[in-house]
Amino acid sequence: MKTALLLPSRYKKIGILMLIPSLILGVLVRFNDFSFDFLTLTTGHSYVKSTPLNFDEVINFTDEMALTGIIVALLFIAFAREKQEDEFISKLRLESLQWAVLINYILLLIATWLIHGFSYIDVMVYNMLTVLIFFILRFHVLLFRNRSSITD
Amino acid sequence: MKNNIKIERARHNMTQQDLASRIGVSRQTINAMESNKYVPSTVLALKIAALFKLTVEEIFLLEEND
Repeated sequence: MKTALLLPSRYKKIGILMLIPSLILGVLVRFNDFSFDFLTLTTGHSYVKSTPLNFDEVINFTDEMALTGIIVALLFIAFAREKQEDEFISKLRLESLQWAVLINYILLLIATWLIHGFSYIDVMVYNMLTVLIFFILRFHVLLFRNRSSITD
Repeated sequence: MKNNIKIERARHNMTQQDLASRIGVSRQTINAMESNKYVPSTVLALKIAALFKLTVEEIFLLEEND
């Protein structure tokens, strides 16, 4: 069966290989203020237009690189075709996506009411990735369950 | 909906994998249909019927609550 918008199945492996270093970099950036010096850019003017200060602004792109790596890797894993992607697998895929979006927003609503102030920024940071993560986990749990229930 | 896939498969002495390869789906799909967890598309139902040389109605049967 033809399924639109899916990548060849090898992208799952590529995604996993990309995710590991990106995730390590992301954790280092987030918790250790780590940055690569070669990714530092000094602009002659203020990068952010609304900043009234008139001095050379220094921006480091390590966090941008980590987040890009994580998102691209998760997209690769999420949208890699299964080795045998047929109509039943497509159904599992769609159901998992629906489940992931629902769970994601339920958790976001709970967090909105329970977490306040600056900590809420953490919620937003993780929420950028959770839809994809929940989807990948749910889809693979369903695939695994169906594989292990095979009786012949 | 009920189906007789498992019976027909046994009659033709086929494993789930054999049937899956013949009609171009994964083994999970055959398993899910046999355990009534998945209702196949019309295309797949027709392929299964054609393989067993039966009509779709002889393999797939409606139930009361359908």
